[in-house]
Amino acid sequence: MASEARDRRAVITGLGAVSAFGWGVDALRDGLRSGRTAIGPFQRFDHTRHRTHVAGEVPEGPPPDFARGPRWRRLSLADRFAVFAAREALAQAGLEGPLHERAAGVFFASSTGGMLESERYFTQLVRAGARPPLGLMSSQQINGPGDAVARDLRVTGPVQTLSSACASGALALEAALAAIRAGEVEIAVAGGSDSLCEITYSGFNALRAVDEAPCRPFREGRAGMSIGEGAGVLVLESVDHARGRGATPLAELRGSGASCDASHMTAPHPEGAGAALALTRAFTDAHLEPDGVDFINAHGTGTPLNDAAEFAAFRAALGDRASQVPLTSTKGVVGHLLGSSGAIEAVATVIGLRDREVHPTPGGGRVDPAIGARLVLDVPEAVPDARTAVSTSLAFGGSNVALVLARWD
Amino acid sequence: MSQNGIRTNLKQLIVTTLNLDGLTPERIADDEPLFGSGLGLDSVDALELVVALEKEYGISIASHEVDRSVFGSLASLAGFVERRLAESKPQAADGQ
Repeated sequence: MASEARDRRAVITGLGAVSAFGWGVDALRDGLRSGRTAIGPFQRFDHTRHRTHVAGEVPEGPPPDFARGPRWRRLSLADRFAVFAAREALAQAGLEGPLHERAAGVFFASSTGGMLESERYFTQLVRAGARPPLGLMSSQQINGPGDAVARDLRVTGPVQTLSSACASGALALEAALAAIRAGEVEIAVAGGSDSLCEITYSGFNALRAVDEAPCRPFREGRAGMSIGEGAGVLVLESVDHARGRGATPLAELRGSGASCDASHMTAPHPEGAGAALALTRAFTDAHLEPDGVDFINAHGTGTPLNDAAEFAAFRAALGDRASQVPLTSTKGVVGHLLGSSGAIEAVATVIGLRDREVHPTPGGGRVDPAIGARLVLDVPEAVPDARTAVSTSLAFGGSNVALVLARWD
Repeated sequence: MSQNGIRTNLKQLIVTTLNLDGLTPERIADDEPLFGSGLGLDSVDALELVVALEKEYGISIASHEVDRSVFGSLASLAGFVERRLAESKPQAADGQ
């Protein structure tokens, strides 16, 4: 036993997603490839008095054939996105639940949890004066989505929720990677889920951080983000575990790096110093030279400050390669999923590695010449030789994460 | 209020209080379990019901009374409400 080398690298064997394009990875993939944005008018709440009127709203769901389970009505919308995406990812991995007899953990992210339902509770309380249904508060907490996934899949290993604003999803993946490397788990269900609600919508609006048009990452004249919603879930396994059951990895989570700007509540460090540090740490962790990066899935919120600072970080960490490799932002397609953005963007990046193409970034106007990114436009860009991609998540509060994802074959 | 009257009244109260998809008073059987199997109510529903019952009938229900012997079925719940109403009647009469 002692002589047997153990392979604790982490491979990805399943993907799940819910986005403004619909319930499921296929809807996301088709949408990413389409060159269209899913950001547009939305119905979730009355936004006539807000400054902007677009978001990436998930259509009604889940599909009727989805087995909802007896406690479905107690789940928040974010919980439902999470459970759907987790089951989808597990099915692709070929892992049948329940997982209680396996060394499995849940590593999840959220910014909103059941904030939407809490808003409805207090709106009814204040406006109608009557006692609203308690059920609106039954999954109010930020850990709701991760816990709902654990109950649904019967995961009895470590279950944790990370909430560090827009870095949360990537931090959850980093936590999953660490747990697999340490041998704490063999299977990690990692991801994040958030729902569109009025507190986040009005909050970012009040900060003037939201574009009136669907967001336009890295374009000249970009004027902010667009709020999205949904979930991204990845099933990670140790190589040993995946091999042992004959599973085919989709990709490897090869490394991650995290940092903090430690400077401002909302603005990024102007030269992207913190983001550059996260990138450098990720490259070290993945034993990767910067020239080994084949494409970039940027945080790319579409705010004037983020995109400029982020690209400065790419320049600092990748040198000339920063403007040579294709760069995309999933946020231009499905909006900003806040805490779970890093999770759905990791899903998009794995899809790109698997299909050997980088999805386009919708949005009008020319690419900002002051930045100089090689932004993928209109149609997917074929990257036949691509092996390795980096995905970044840069949060309000200054928390930064870079993930290195790679083909496994 | 007769026991039948209480049962009918309770079914309507459950429907309006819990707002369950597709649930009508006619679909609540007197002897079917309310929780778990049967109607499938849970502990949040129990909290909702206690508050609604207290308000509807002017009775008070202590935490230790929220158990299977009382909340097991519509019939047992109706019996409980009936006993409570009977207990409170003399006091109400005194008050008049």
